[in-house]
Amino acid sequence: MSQLESHVTVQKRAYYSPPWADVSIIAIAGSSGSGKSTLSQTIVKKLNLPWVDSFYKTLTPAQSKLAFANEYDFDSPDAIDFDALISSLRDLKAGKRAEIPVYSFAHHARLDRTTSIYSPHVLVLEGIFALYDPRVRELCDMGIYCEADADTCLSRRIVRDVRERGRDVEGCIKQWFAFVKPNFEKYVEPQRKVADIIVPRGIENRVALDMVTQFIEKKLFEKSTHHREALARLEIKGKEEPLSDRVVVMSEGPQIKFMNTILQDIDTSAEDFIFYFDRLAALIIEQALNNVHFEETTIETPPGYKYNGLRPKGEVSAVIVLRGGSAFEPALRKTIPDCRTGRLLIQSSYATGEPELHYLRLPEDIHKHESVLLLDTQMASGGAALMAVQVLVDHGVALERIVLATYSAGKVGLHRLMTVFPEITAVVCNLLPHAEQRWVEKRYFRC
Amino acid sequence: MAEKPTPAAAPTQCVGPTFRSVADKPTATVSHEVPFENVCVLPQTPQLIALLSMIRNKDTERADFIFYSNRIIRLLVEEGLNHLPVIEKTITTPVGRTYNGLGFQGKICGVSIMRAGEAMEQGLRDCCRSVRIGKILIQRDEDTAQPKLFYDKLPEDIAKRWVLLLDPMFATGGSATMAVEVLKSRGVPEDRILFLNLIASPEGITTFATKFPRLKVVTAFIDEGLDEKNYIVPGLGDFGDRFYTI
Repeated sequence: MSQLESHVTVQKRAYYSPPWADVSIIAIAGSSGSGKSTLSQTIVKKLNLPWVDSFYKTLTPAQSKLAFANEYDFDSPDAIDFDALISSLRDLKAGKRAEIPVYSFAHHARLDRTTSIYSPHVLVLEGIFALYDPRVRELCDMGIYCEADADTCLSRRIVRDVRERGRDVEGCIKQWFAFVKPNFEKYVEPQRKVADIIVPRGIENRVALDMVTQFIEKKLFEKSTHHREALARLEIKGKEEPLSDRVVVMSEGPQIKFMNTILQDIDTSAEDFIFYFDRLAALIIEQALNNVHFEETTIETPPGYKYNGLRPKGEVSAVIVLRGGSAFEPALRKTIPDCRTGRLLIQSSYATGEPELHYLRLPEDIHKHESVLLLDTQMASGGAALMAVQVLVDHGVALERIVLATYSAGKVGLHRLMTVFPEITAVVCNLLPHAEQRWVEKRYFRC
Repeated sequence: MAEKPTPAAAPTQCVGPTFRSVADKPTATVSHEVPFENVCVLPQTPQLIALLSMIRNKDTERADFIFYSNRIIRLLVEEGLNHLPVIEKTITTPVGRTYNGLGFQGKICGVSIMRAGEAMEQGLRDCCRSVRIGKILIQRDEDTAQPKLFYDKLPEDIAKRWVLLLDPMFATGGSATMAVEVLKSRGVPEDRILFLNLIASPEGITTFATKFPRLKVVTAFIDEGLDEKNYIVPGLGDFGDRFYTI
């Protein structure tokens, strides 16, 4: 049902698909000690990707006792929480945030904290049973099986377990013959047949490593191309229709025009620029706050008269699009001193102009906030703003609760944003006929 | 002298952005409208009404009272400065675009009516960094029950400046009238005085419109009227006490 609904929404409106909406998953399976960790870590390092391997089930006290005595079978598929893994993978595939459990081999338990993964373009899933579950295989774009000689596997395993996981040699050998070897034949080896690539000799196999890296690079390039094409298509659509009435352009009274003159004058001193930007930013934030939701309240004044006034309906928080948006922070602190503030860093790739999400920290309960102000100094093509709104949507913030506030915006970019997300409100001080490169943050931060 | 207007019913309307439907907007009591050209009331936005609700509320703590009144004062000053004369100025932007902008002409100064008016000085300084600020102390004479000038200290060259006169509560306008007369006696033309206040009474507004038709009054809200003790209804109590001592 939910799938059907989302399909209907897609049909009704222009749709922005962020590059992480269809994450490519690379699964790397193979026997313990076959070199799959080294292979995946080399790929991860080379391409800077997130990787997942911690879906062991939390053990019961009895199982835990066995585990510490090296008598628990970690090398059976039963030890893996495939349901949790698949639900995380499906979330990521849908472009949502997923919480990945953190497993401690020293304690044989999941830790309380989780690692959240959001917005990867390519994800490496590594584990002896990475290709075991057909549901996982269905989500994968590429399945790799690492193969190595059994002697090599055993020796690597001993070295690793003793050095990194605090075991003793005897325990390791006991585990090997009791569980690892029989399980290998029963469960691990059959994955060979379903893999797309079989990599012998693990990390020493440079050719295989290059092949896999090239495949991923190609995938990344395709995604970037699709993303930029999608942005361009939305831009054309945006040119055809009039600007939404949810765009609030600040009326240009003499004071605002005067401040604009100082701010835009190339000869203005840094001191004046910062002072006048803070002053104007305070007005932009006041204007943005006019678009959040209020409710009625009757209060009593000290002489005892009643007044029918208003109060904010709930918490108003802010999300700053770095780096530009942080120029709004002094003004924000003057207006709402204790405003909870999320931050995200979006940068346009120097080579392609494609916006990329580099960093993200949001309040945990942002989806419950009555309104979220999204702050950035300038909007050129609107690619970063599209991505920022999408990030908020992925974290459960309803569109009508988002108020974007910016110092200047190009008409086309703003139009495109409003076509994709018609329920948001945008407050703009200067609406420009053409997009222009970002200069405000350079002047504000003086670098 | 104009007749004392009968307090009309408080105007109520829904407030919020125009794109939202009436049903989606909350209603609140908004400022009275007055037919005088020299009066400028801030736009009755939901945010302004919410700020006013905070400072009117008798249960608001002093720290909050100071914070929220400062936010309104800032908006008042920004609006007040809109009424100063301008000249056209064309500049080049950092990205090489030409912008037909504005520059301000003439010098300004602030004059606060002690003590409540001094609470507005910070808001003025937030907008105009090194502004000169004069002070006037006016108190009620116990013998005559009339306002009396006790002290003033004003910039020497005040006659050449635009004056932003500061007093948050504009009730009968007794002390404000006296302050304007002091300024006029120092050579400040009436049309170069801007009187900034947070809450005004229709009585005070009418008195000024008749006595000083060329002086601009900038206010956040015109209330219903005055009670028998000449307090503004519903008002917010004694601004100076709430800002400085309570």
